[in-house]
Amino acid sequence: MIIVLVTIMTYVLYRFAKQLNKNSKIPLFHPLLFTPVLIIIIIFATHLSANTYLDGAKLLTHMLGPATIAFAVPIYKHLPVLKKYLGLILISITSGSLIAVFSSFGLSMLLHLDRSFSVSVLPRSITTPIAMEVSKDIGGLPTLTTVFVIITGIVGGMIGPSVIKRFAIKTPIAKGLALGMSAHGVGTNKAMEYGEEATTFSTLAMILAATITIVWGKLLIPSLIGLL
Amino acid sequence: MKIGTIIIQILLIHIFLLLAIGLKQLLSIPLPASMIGLVLLFLALVLKIIKLEWVEQGANWLMAELLLFFVPSAVGIVNYNEIASWQGVEMVFIIGISTFIVMSLTAFIADWIVTKKGEKVG
Repeated sequence: MIIVLVTIMTYVLYRFAKQLNKNSKIPLFHPLLFTPVLIIIIIFATHLSANTYLDGAKLLTHMLGPATIAFAVPIYKHLPVLKKYLGLILISITSGSLIAVFSSFGLSMLLHLDRSFSVSVLPRSITTPIAMEVSKDIGGLPTLTTVFVIITGIVGGMIGPSVIKRFAIKTPIAKGLALGMSAHGVGTNKAMEYGEEATTFSTLAMILAATITIVWGKLLIPSLIGLL
Repeated sequence: MKIGTIIIQILLIHIFLLLAIGLKQLLSIPLPASMIGLVLLFLALVLKIIKLEWVEQGANWLMAELLLFFVPSAVGIVNYNEIASWQGVEMVFIIGISTFIVMSLTAFIADWIVTKKGEKVG
């Protein structure tokens, strides 16, 4: 019963936020920012516990699995393009994932953050399930990493269009790779606004970024953490 | 009618999730089941075991509504008191800057290579 209620409530609020975001173009109404804020307000107003809500939302969270699998479809549809640009994709994502790890590390060193924060933030730019695995691997806190992954997604989805516009990024390939690399599934969702080709490259970037970051987790990150 | 098609196709995609969970346990693959499922569905499409039309509408819906499935995890942030501190603010700042750097540099690198190659991409 609670599952039905929570699912319907979340869906309605999400639709509302999505429509508002589409009509107003105000980043604050981004569905992944505005919907959770509304729900948190409702939780506090009704004295419900957050865990009651999270229990009821299991069906929605479960759908992340099939949704990830669904990305096989655009990859399959654009297989010839993938073959043609394999080198480009590999170079971009290898650099992108290195930049993600080093910039997160450098900035948290600069601000003298707690060790648990500095370590858990390192895999933040990749898709949640794999980020949690890498976090466990390198001695971070997987739940804290999930929070950072979500924040990355929200930020990436919000700044994506202005970065692409400001820096005059022309090709759908670059748009897709940048969004999928920097903001995982949320970025890939944004890439859908730039057409199927951008979506495909974003999907490929997301998958490859996750895979390469697993490798960094084994080879590179342990020596970085040694510097802390 | 279209909603029915989408639901049936999502159920079909679930079969790949179940296969992936089974395969993960059987071979103890160190990857999340959803990633293994993605590879399985991709292979099934390439090897013509299933037709694109069987999953396309369901997959499109799932991808279009992806943010909906992230909403509960975002609500879960309230369980982390650490975030409601000065460190939490610094963290958001770091993530914002770093995401910006990663996005713009990746875009520049990719755009530069594509343009250098002089290949026209539609």
